[in-house]
Amino acid sequence: MKIKQDGQRMSISHIPELSAVNSTSFRDEVQAAIPPSMNTLDIDLSQTLFVDSSGLGALFSLYKNTGSGNGVKLRLLNPAPQVQQLLELTQMHQFFEITRD
Amino acid sequence: MDAPTIHTDGGAAHRIAFGCNPAESRAASRALRAFLAEHLLDEAELFACELCLAEACNNAVQYADERFRNEPIVAEAVCTSSQVELRVTDHTQGFDFPKNPSVPPPDSERGRGIFIIHSMMDGVRYLRSENHNTLVMWKRRSHHLHRPSNQPSSESPDDLRRQLEDFKRTIGAMARELCFRSESLAAIFRCGTELGRAGDLEGFAQRLLGDLLHLTSTDWFVLRLIPPRDLQLTVFAASDPELMGEPLRLGTTNPSPASAELAAAATRTAVPYTARHARLPSEPLRAAGPRAGGLVHPVLFGETLVGTLAVGRRENAGPFSELQAEVIRTFAEFLAIQIVNLRHQEEQIGARLITRELEIARSIQKASFPRSLPQLGNFSLAGRWESARQVAGDFYDAMPLGDHSLLLVVADVMGKGVPAAMFATITRALIRAMAPHHHQPADLLMRLNALLYEELSAVDMFITIQLVCIDLQWRHVVAASAGHCPVLLVSGDGNPVRTLGPTGTPLGIQPDPIYDQECATLPDPACLMIYTDGLTEAFNPAGEMFGRNRLGEWLRERVRFPCAAEQLCEGLASELDRFREGTPLRDDQTFLILADKCPTSVAHPQHPSLAGWHSSTESPSVTHNETVSPLTK
Repeated sequence: MKIKQDGQRMSISHIPELSAVNSTSFRDEVQAAIPPSMNTLDIDLSQTLFVDSSGLGALFSLYKNTGSGNGVKLRLLNPAPQVQQLLELTQMHQFFEITRD
Repeated sequence: MDAPTIHTDGGAAHRIAFGCNPAESRAASRALRAFLAEHLLDEAELFACELCLAEACNNAVQYADERFRNEPIVAEAVCTSSQVELRVTDHTQGFDFPKNPSVPPPDSERGRGIFIIHSMMDGVRYLRSENHNTLVMWKRRSHHLHRPSNQPSSESPDDLRRQLEDFKRTIGAMARELCFRSESLAAIFRCGTELGRAGDLEGFAQRLLGDLLHLTSTDWFVLRLIPPRDLQLTVFAASDPELMGEPLRLGTTNPSPASAELAAAATRTAVPYTARHARLPSEPLRAAGPRAGGLVHPVLFGETLVGTLAVGRRENAGPFSELQAEVIRTFAEFLAIQIVNLRHQEEQIGARLITRELEIARSIQKASFPRSLPQLGNFSLAGRWESARQVAGDFYDAMPLGDHSLLLVVADVMGKGVPAAMFATITRALIRAMAPHHHQPADLLMRLNALLYEELSAVDMFITIQLVCIDLQWRHVVAASAGHCPVLLVSGDGNPVRTLGPTGTPLGIQPDPIYDQECATLPDPACLMIYTDGLTEAFNPAGEMFGRNRLGEWLRERVRFPCAAEQLCEGLASELDRFREGTPLRDDQTFLILADKCPTSVAHPQHPSLAGWHSSTESPSVTHNETVSPLTK
């Protein structure tokens, strides 16, 4: 996983999966890295081949802890078709802006 | 973690037992995904199965009963062609699996997993028992073979059975085609190997086409070839004697060819042979029977038409399949290559034989010319032979007939190659043997004809020959000819050229011809010339013949000044070269010139010195001193 900060924007990439094994550490690492004045969080899902309910939980807690109510834009970039379908199935897509290149 | 794969009836199963922790749980769902991937599930199905297994395993780990923490959790997948069954056995307290779960609130972890499983699987059952529970999940496979995942499966079992039959038929046809092609190739290779050994084109074609009949389930063939330098299709091989028809002349402009074979030859394309052709009286393939059908393929080597190949069945069973037509075309192409190769080889062998024969003939012919001519006191004698490319049977000779007499011979054997050269040698030897006993040239010709007639007429050859006997002491000349060019007699005083041209039949034409002799006195100074018609019939690039007049005039001009025979020969040879301007010789040019060595101002000639009479190598010794009376007719 790579975390990059660029002013008020933070981007996370190279996430192989978000499962019960790594979702807690993923959430904690990202939250720890968030700068005080962040306005955009980009999570690149293009290389994320597997996401389960705990992965979805980690994403939702990021939304809760950063995005909700204080104007931070949360974006999920290029999720695989199956991952996007899962986001839609569980209606998690309403909390994030899903962006494709 | 143990992971056996069990093949059950109509499917395969993979079972994994793992420890109660998230990492082993995740590894188990990953391993089962890999197993399912081997059974050709598509990406969406794999994702769904992996996810549902992961959710079930996570629950089993997360809610495991403390008493059974050390008991393995078991996850398994059973994959058949139509569905996947997934099972996870946990050691939890168990729970009531909701029948129709709704979307859980976003922060509810546990409810989300159940909801996902319910949504993604086609069926779910939770089997509870005392110490363990098993979650059984089913998912239908959307298709059996490779198909894009966005096409949902909608076939009924009947459709699927039909599809299966189609696949079986396709595979069967492919297997047959493969066998067919390998058989064709084997036949071609077998025949190719034989051809390399035997070089027998006819046998080769018979065997190859026999194989073709077998491969294409046909029962007759006709292979016609165009012989080299010919314009007709001649039957080269056929499956049956009655199909060995007459040659077919290749028309150039006929719009409706009289037979299927001519049509294939004219259009350079395969022409089906049908009952329509069989009604034409000019159709040679009618011999295959009234109900026969087939295909005529042109045999082409590049753009060149080599022949035609007709193949068919006596009982027409409709047109050939694409594959059969292709095999016929392959065989026709292969035959064309072999035929052209073999013809090329034959031509090369033929050319080598001809070259060798020409070499032999040339060496024989060379041997029939005297290596040196007799040296004669006041006379000079010289000969010249210019060979045309194709060796003929020209020769000249000169031999003493006594102290002051000389026999000059120029001959032309009508024929080419080794036989002509051999007759030249024989004739020369006979003359040498008989000349001492037959001083009259006409007499000698009669004897020669008697000896050579049978052999010459047997091979349709003949010889023209000019014999001239000269008494050098009395300057007396006697000539006899067997159909040969006349003798030219040129005096140094500018008088017109005189010819001695007694008529006579060439040797080998009649069994008992009569020969005449013509006599003359050599002027003083003079030049006498005997030649073959290759000299006067030489052409220049403008198509003019050198001719006897041009020859006579040239000689008359030269003889006005004293000139030795050797110089005259060289001069004439250069003159002939100049005239021809590189035009190839059609025939040998042979001539023999006798000339006075220098102008003799003395009125009465001295006896010529005989000091140089004997040629060191060629002329037989003259041992007797026979007095030769002037030769008269």
